[in-house]
Amino acid sequence: MTEFALDRLVPAHVRAFEAYVPSPPDDVLCRRFGVPHLHRLNNNENPIGPPEAARAMMAAWKPEQAALYPQGDGWHLRRALGRRFDIDPEQVILGNGANEVIAFVIKAFCEPGDNIVTADRTFAVYEWLASFSGVEPRLVPLRDYAFDAEAMLDAIDDRTRVLFVCNPNNPTGTWWRHDELDRFMEAVDGRAIVVADEAYAEFAEDPAFPDSFALMQRHPNLIVFRTFSKMWGLAGLRIGWMAASPDVAATVKKTSISYSVNILAMEAARATVWDEAHVQATRAHMRGSRAAVAALAQKLGLTMIGDVGNFVMLKLPMSDTVAHRRLMGRGVMARAMTSFRYPGWLRVSLGPADAMAAFAGALEEVLAEG
Amino acid sequence: MSLDPRAQLPAGPRHAGIGAGFIRDCALAGGAEERLANRLALIAEEVLGAAPANAGLVGLTLSDRRHAMRLSVDFTAADLDLAGLDQSRRGDAEDAEEIGLYLAARLADRLTTEPLDRGGLRLGFDVGRAYPPQAAATAPEALGPISGAAVDPDDATLALLVQWAEAAELGGPAFRLAPRVLDQRAQGDLFARVALDARKRPVGGLFWQPFGRRLMELSGPALLLPDGADRAAVAEALLEAALAGLVRKKIQGLVVLEPSPDMPRQGFETVGQLPAADGTTWPVLFRALEEDPGGISWVPPVLADWVTAATRRLALGRDIEEPARPKRATGAAMAAETDRARGRVTLRSLIAAGDAAAVAAGNVALFRDQGFSEIRAILDLGKPDQAAFAEGLVKAGLSPAALIPDAAGDLLLLAAAE
Ligand SMILES: Cc1ncc(COP(=O)(O)O)c(C=O)c1O
Repeated sequence: MTEFALDRLVPAHVRAFEAYVPSPPDDVLCRRFGVPHLHRLNNNENPIGPPEAARAMMAAWKPEQAALYPQGDGWHLRRALGRRFDIDPEQVILGNGANEVIAFVIKAFCEPGDNIVTADRTFAVYEWLASFSGVEPRLVPLRDYAFDAEAMLDAIDDRTRVLFVCNPNNPTGTWWRHDELDRFMEAVDGRAIVVADEAYAEFAEDPAFPDSFALMQRHPNLIVFRTFSKMWGLAGLRIGWMAASPDVAATVKKTSISYSVNILAMEAARATVWDEAHVQATRAHMRGSRAAVAALAQKLGLTMIGDVGNFVMLKLPMSDTVAHRRLMGRGVMARAMTSFRYPGWLRVSLGPADAMAAFAGALEEVLAEG
Repeated sequence: MSLDPRAQLPAGPRHAGIGAGFIRDCALAGGAEERLANRLALIAEEVLGAAPANAGLVGLTLSDRRHAMRLSVDFTAADLDLAGLDQSRRGDAEDAEEIGLYLAARLADRLTTEPLDRGGLRLGFDVGRAYPPQAAATAPEALGPISGAAVDPDDATLALLVQWAEAAELGGPAFRLAPRVLDQRAQGDLFARVALDARKRPVGGLFWQPFGRRLMELSGPALLLPDGADRAAVAEALLEAALAGLVRKKIQGLVVLEPSPDMPRQGFETVGQLPAADGTTWPVLFRALEEDPGGISWVPPVLADWVTAATRRLALGRDIEEPARPKRATGAAMAAETDRARGRVTLRSLIAAGDAAAVAAGNVALFRDQGFSEIRAILDLGKPDQAAFAEGLVKAGLSPAALIPDAAGDLLLLAAAE
């Protein structure tokens, strides 16, 4: 072989991007940090797990089926979701987690040189996907912990293709009401696609939370993201979805990847739709757990924010990355928020009772160490 | 595609003059002044001349880095004997005939090394541009207060900040020579945030520059407001803007080797102490930008106690392992980065081999003889090979000073103040 000049083959925006490195598996972390067990409170999972029907489906699942390809685009699941949200199944597109759906949307609407608009302190994947696709992420500062509609509108120019609104926002738990999202859609006035990432929508109990499927009727440029990872306790199976008006969905369909969602995920997800009792039980857990963390925060003199979702944020009087390591050394994994542009804050998922107790004890010790 | 002029020539003295002429002509054609072109040419001549014949074709590339010109020398052959690159191996170097790379490294302001595919090695010799001294420009009295968030400044604002900082001797060496700072920034070798007052005049600045592959070194802040004014608020605003611009990229952490008294300490951890010439010490500060998921630390026995204690104190999750001896028996070499003005030299591993300890000790002795007053070494504990240098460094009087965390390889900073 003559000289292989890899750099020549790699676009500048890929070369400039640093690959995301997920944290190692628990056994490795336990060894490195010298702990027998690790409570994971860093990924906003559901401590209750999947609903009964999904458990039963998985228990009855026959391993022989693993040899077969799944149906390619979630035929039955899309119909179930269509019935539940009163939309046409063709408006629904599945992905290997909502993360994959973000990629479908960026691929469908953006080319290098375009931009997307989102917040500076929100879920990172919009920003990352744009960056390594040669698309400029325009990051608008949050205002009072919430997405700033005015400033986002100001950031739009003729190369803006997609606006990402994380509603409720990870990590602050703030959210736009139905009328706020409606007004925003009016003001965008079809100039760009608007994504409402509703990964945590099922945790919102307030009736003022948007009915985005209804808004879609009047605003054909609105896309809604949902996931089975959070409320539905299927994060390990990797399945999420989006819905949009028929023409927008048909466009995203072109850049979506058929057969990307596995059989087990599709069947388990279908079994969850739409288990109200599970939703109620999960919400009850979150209420109790949130109140307990609020009490802890008060005892320790820490500011806590976040009313919606399965997580809260705490402001520490010390470095969050140092607190993260010290908590790891006590068998508790929370999320350090410097990388979310919240230096000094910790995000903690509202997990199982034993993990929350371990967190409370460990945090108190870490703060005492200073 | 890069348009940097490049040539490939056989190693050895016969082609050294040709390489030198080529580099000199290219430097002049690229707008370098005579002095700079001559220094680059000398380096090319010395390196080619001292390279062993088995090095095959040696690549020479000249690139304009605005504030410096860089001569990159590529050795593509694997398993080279590059011991000749090591300054300490020259024995009585000043008298020796083949003064070679010893001289080359001394002619450069900075020597960097980078592995190439299939066992090759790239040496980067940077020679800085000369900037004429700047006329002093003093900041006006009635500056401030700060207005709005700190910004990534335009050239005029950045230049003004540096001029005012220079006149008031603020911020340290990074805040000197406005034209150089602008060139460094344009080259991607320096980043800045500047706080402004309501009239858009700079009231303070904070800089950062690459420190290894995944870290940045913070300098400053330079605060132009008088004592008592909201200086702390300016420092906070600068740091906040810096952090917002730095996260979610490849940078894992910020290190502060020379903390200014105005650097906000909250959020930083002290990862060690550096000795000053007067026998006192000052803290090395660090701030991680990303979660540390743990990693491996290759620690030689001579440093095991210190590194283990530091790792515990910093609550780092590390598998601490003892490295095997390097496979290669001989031919170890170190790279040296010198800062003559400050009498500082920093040694790094170039090639590890069984004789690494002796080579390390030799390097320390060499620079000590030359009157360097601050001798430092940096070992990447993520690379099992580098541990081999530790014993020699310690024998020569260096002690571990700071452990700079990076899950992909903590950096151990050793230091001796003479
Ligand atoms: C706001 C938001 N969107 C999307 C996702 C990704 O979800 P999924 O697991 O479906 O990829 C997450 C996961 O944390 C999230 O917080």
